Amino acid sequence: MAGGQGGRSQLMKRAGPLALAAPATLGLLVFFIAPLAAFAVYSFLTGALYDVKAPLTFENYTEAAGSDLNRQLGRNSLVVGALSALIAVVFALPIAYWLRYAAGRWRALVLFLIVASFLASYLVRIYAWRSILGGNGLINRGLTELGLIDQPLDFLLYNRFAVIIALVHIYLPYVVLVLYAGLAPLQPSYLETAQDLGAGWVQRWRRVILPLVAAPAASALLFVFVLSAADYVTPQFLGGTNGALLGVQVQVSFVGTGDYAAGAAISFAMLAGFLVCYALIALGLRLTRLDRVRFAA
Amino acid sequence: MSATRRSPVTGAVTLLGVVFLWAPLLLVVLFSLHSTGSLTFPFQGFSLRWYEEIFSSPQVRLAAQNSLIVATSSALITLLLGTLAAYGLARSSSRLRGPLALLFFLPITLPGLFIGIALLVAFSRVQVTLSLVTVTVAHLVYVFPFFFLIARSALERLDPALEEAASDLGANRWTVFRRVTIPQVWPILVGAACLAFALSFDEFVITFFVIGPDSTLPLFIWSSLRRTVDPSINAISSLLLLFTLILFMVTFALATWGERRRRGRGLAEDPLALTPVPVAKGAA
Repeated sequence: MAGGQGGRSQLMKRAGPLALAAPATLGLLVFFIAPLAAFAVYSFLTGALYDVKAPLTFENYTEAAGSDLNRQLGRNSLVVGALSALIAVVFALPIAYWLRYAAGRWRALVLFLIVASFLASYLVRIYAWRSILGGNGLINRGLTELGLIDQPLDFLLYNRFAVIIALVHIYLPYVVLVLYAGLAPLQPSYLETAQDLGAGWVQRWRRVILPLVAAPAASALLFVFVLSAADYVTPQFLGGTNGALLGVQVQVSFVGTGDYAAGAAISFAMLAGFLVCYALIALGLRLTRLDRVRFAA
Repeated sequence: MSATRRSPVTGAVTLLGVVFLWAPLLLVVLFSLHSTGSLTFPFQGFSLRWYEEIFSSPQVRLAAQNSLIVATSSALITLLLGTLAAYGLARSSSRLRGPLALLFFLPITLPGLFIGIALLVAFSRVQVTLSLVTVTVAHLVYVFPFFFLIARSALERLDPALEEAASDLGANRWTVFRRVTIPQVWPILVGAACLAFALSFDEFVITFFVIGPDSTLPLFIWSSLRRTVDPSINAISSLLLLFTLILFMVTFALATWGERRRRGRGLAEDPLALTPVPVAKGAA
């Protein structure tokens, strides 16, 4: 401020407008990158109760990988994450199509409903599904009242199925929006042309629509997979033993057992797994050349 | 507009999707008005007793107050830092643009679990006591990318000729920013700050690790969920839903208005201006 108007604009000219991004950059370096780095270092230190100490070691990783419980939870995370992501994408595709090509005057309203539901509280959704699926919940009590069952159906809650339903419920709006945005460049007239040239609906989907949304769909798939596999709240309330996920184990290491080193090792093993998934998806898109599909607007 | 295609099958799936998304939420609202504590049908009459219960609870009031403080601070700080960062990046041609844009986007790609624990580790290393301040810092990391993506795309879609004309006429950079840039985009920026507020207000996954002894509304709901089936959760949840919905409508209205002012058409033609969908481009 000392230099007044002239001094300030002089400084601006030298640093360029990018200087305006300095406070945010500093903030994210201090409160995001540095903490992650510290967290990563923890995974290579020797564990102590609610702390870590020297010497450096790779043992946390070998121990984490050797544990039967971790392996089981890892498999659960993989299955639950993959199924939630697949179901969400398959469910979202027709919705995105309808919004883009068939919605007409309903488009704004339905889009509004979908985006608004995305902002609905995460915990409220989990709670809602627990009230619906529980032994004393809506479905069981309803079926009992109707005389269809005399024992509550216990396969509804505390398993993978319940976790997957809740996760699809949480992420479906996001996937719809991503796919809808992916369809934006594909003008309705292209579909009409395809139709005029004799393409049935199977061919239109297979040769026109799906290649275009393959890249956005893959990114949505990955996003839902990662967030689902690392979820620690949904499985706690809906998952039981069969639906417990690796994220719960990480949370417990930090707030329950105090085994920071083990928790950090599991976390970074998970992150490495996510990176592998990302690489596989990127490679898959590249090999099939689906990452290059473009439509002129 | 070209002809709308007929597609009964995808229409049916969409209807199913909307019901699937909203039915569970509306059930919570319905049972928040139930006169008995039961969460099942048959419905035995309406009552506001659960709302009376939460309004008279000092714990709920304190939690709501904390949530408001944290969400307001996060939204305002994000509005300031995010606008500066987005403007800086949108008007720069430096080679650092790419890496910085990546840094500003990165927190979205990481599950909250890892952000929360990394901050917990860092705070305990430098012996910062956990409080609402640490929660606000954590929320800033979480909401910043959403705000940044929206703000940057709004700023990049501006017609550069207007800013150039102003500066040719002798306005300095600050005047251009204040009198030409901001008047074109402020509704979208304020809308994005409302989104940041809503995200922060509802954040649980990260908050859980960095909150210490305080409580926020999501934390209160979480602890009630752990205890038993407490029918007053329905009432808190419903108010939370209503609050987010109002906030979202304000956001939507601001963005629609902002777009109309800017180029004479509304969000109905471009409803994605306000959703951080560029996530798709960054993630794969």
